[in-house]
Amino acid sequence: MPAKVLCESIFIVANVQENNKMNKEKASDELIIANKEIAFQNNEKDKRAAELIIANNELAFQNKEKENRAAELIIANNELAFQNKEKEKRATELMIANNELVFQNDEKEKRAAELVIANKELLFQNEQKEKRAAELVIANKELLFQNEEKEKRAAELVIAKELLFQNEDKEKRAAELIIANKELVIQNEEKRKQAAELEEANKELESFSYSVSHDLRAPLRAINGFTQVLAEDYLEQLNDEAKAILNEIIANSNKMGELIDNLLEFSRIGKQHVSRVDVNIKQLVDTVISELKQLEPKRIFNIIVNNLYNINGDRNMLKQVFINLLSNAFKYTGNKEEALIELGSYPENDQCIYYVKDNGAGFDMRYYDKLFGVFQRLHSSNEFDGTGVGLAIIQKIIIKHQGKVWAEGKVGEGACFYISLPTT
Amino acid sequence: MLLLVEDNKSDAMLTIRALKKHNLADNLVHLVDGAEALDFLFAKGAYSGRTIEDKPKVIFLDLKMPKVSGLEVLRIIKSDEITKFIPVVMMTSSKEEKDVIESHHLGVNSYVVKPLDFNNFSKTIADLGFYWLVVNNTPK
Repeated sequence: MPAKVLCESIFIVANVQENNKMNKEKASDELIIANKEIAFQNNEKDKRAAELIIANNELAFQNKEKENRAAELIIANNELAFQNKEKEKRATELMIANNELVFQNDEKEKRAAELVIANKELLFQNEQKEKRAAELVIANKELLFQNEEKEKRAAELVIAKELLFQNEDKEKRAAELIIANKELVIQNEEKRKQAAELEEANKELESFSYSVSHDLRAPLRAINGFTQVLAEDYLEQLNDEAKAILNEIIANSNKMGELIDNLLEFSRIGKQHVSRVDVNIKQLVDTVISELKQLEPKRIFNIIVNNLYNINGDRNMLKQVFINLLSNAFKYTGNKEEALIELGSYPENDQCIYYVKDNGAGFDMRYYDKLFGVFQRLHSSNEFDGTGVGLAIIQKIIIKHQGKVWAEGKVGEGACFYISLPTT
Repeated sequence: MLLLVEDNKSDAMLTIRALKKHNLADNLVHLVDGAEALDFLFAKGAYSGRTIEDKPKVIFLDLKMPKVSGLEVLRIIKSDEITKFIPVVMMTSSKEEKDVIESHHLGVNSYVVKPLDFNNFSKTIADLGFYWLVVNNTPK
């Protein structure tokens, strides 16, 4: 670098000399100035050279330092190369190991897939086993039930043996019954014959009563009628005795008419069907009493009506019963100054018992069995009028109601009649 | 005209007597059985010369008669256009329920049980005669 600068400076001096030739005055002035300049520049260049030497020394030092450093770097480089080689080895090893691991990984994935399949299989098997278990539970229950059934059956068989034994007994019994049955069939046939005969007899009786009601009444009406005609048309030709005789004929024919009517009533009730309703006995009795009182307004009655229960029965028939009972009580107290009549009812078991008590003529208990018979009388017609059908009708009606009738009496002191009727 | 059909001679005599006593027997025809009554009403047999339009105002008909019974006569009278409006009073000795029902089924106008007592009997006959001959009106 200072060499180059020196060359340039020489070139510049050459140029200045040429310029001096052309301009001699100026040139000498300028040459002095230039000389001075060049001397200054020379000085400067010396300073600069000194500085460059220092710098060159410095650079030599730095060069040595750098050579040291390069030597160190070579060592370090060798070291690194070694290390690099080691690392390459290691990398190779790792690569191998990696491949190995990749392989192992693949294996593991395969295994995992296999395990998933195996797992599913196990899950399926598990479900199957659970199903089977449930089926077994059911089967078990079934077996338990069958077992119980078998135990029952066994128990039954034990009973059956007993039954077999009993059966044999029963067969014996059955054989006996068959014989008895045959006997009954024979008896039944006989009864059927009897029933047919009875029905026939019943029909005969019906036509008999029909005939009685027509054919017996017609001649009676004639006897009664013509006797009366005689009494009316030939009144003046008859004496008192003849008139009395005619009256007897009329009274008797009337009595016979009454008998026929009662007999027909008795047979009519026998044929009648009981049509059941709830009957207010109290109301019914009150009506009957007031009707009977009106027939005998002059008599003195003391009638006590106690509690009378309602009952299920045929209203008309039960009314007939109380008409007959009460008209008897009225009739047989006819000789008493004050007729005392008491009625009431009370429950007993599944029956209701009604009673009608009076202080009348009463009756002799020795003839009790005749009391309820048709046309049976315990008093003469002279004493008390009657046909002997009233109580028979009562008995017939009460029996039709599955009830009972009975009485207590004492001659001259009175009688008490009871009827019991089922409440159910 | 009152037509009495009665087979029982005594009943007929007592009936006619009762009617006469009350002046109701002026135009009375007495026949003794059902067959004769039908011949009379329909102008047949012994009565073929009779005018069929000459109808009785009332018939007192006994129920129980031989040959043709009162019920049979009633059935024929009530089922024939010519005779069905003639009032028929069934006269009987008994109030047998089945006879009462049967008579009404056939269209009887009245059903009467002859009372046993003659006074009652007379009064009943007179009342019937008066009612059917005097009080009651039937289509011509």
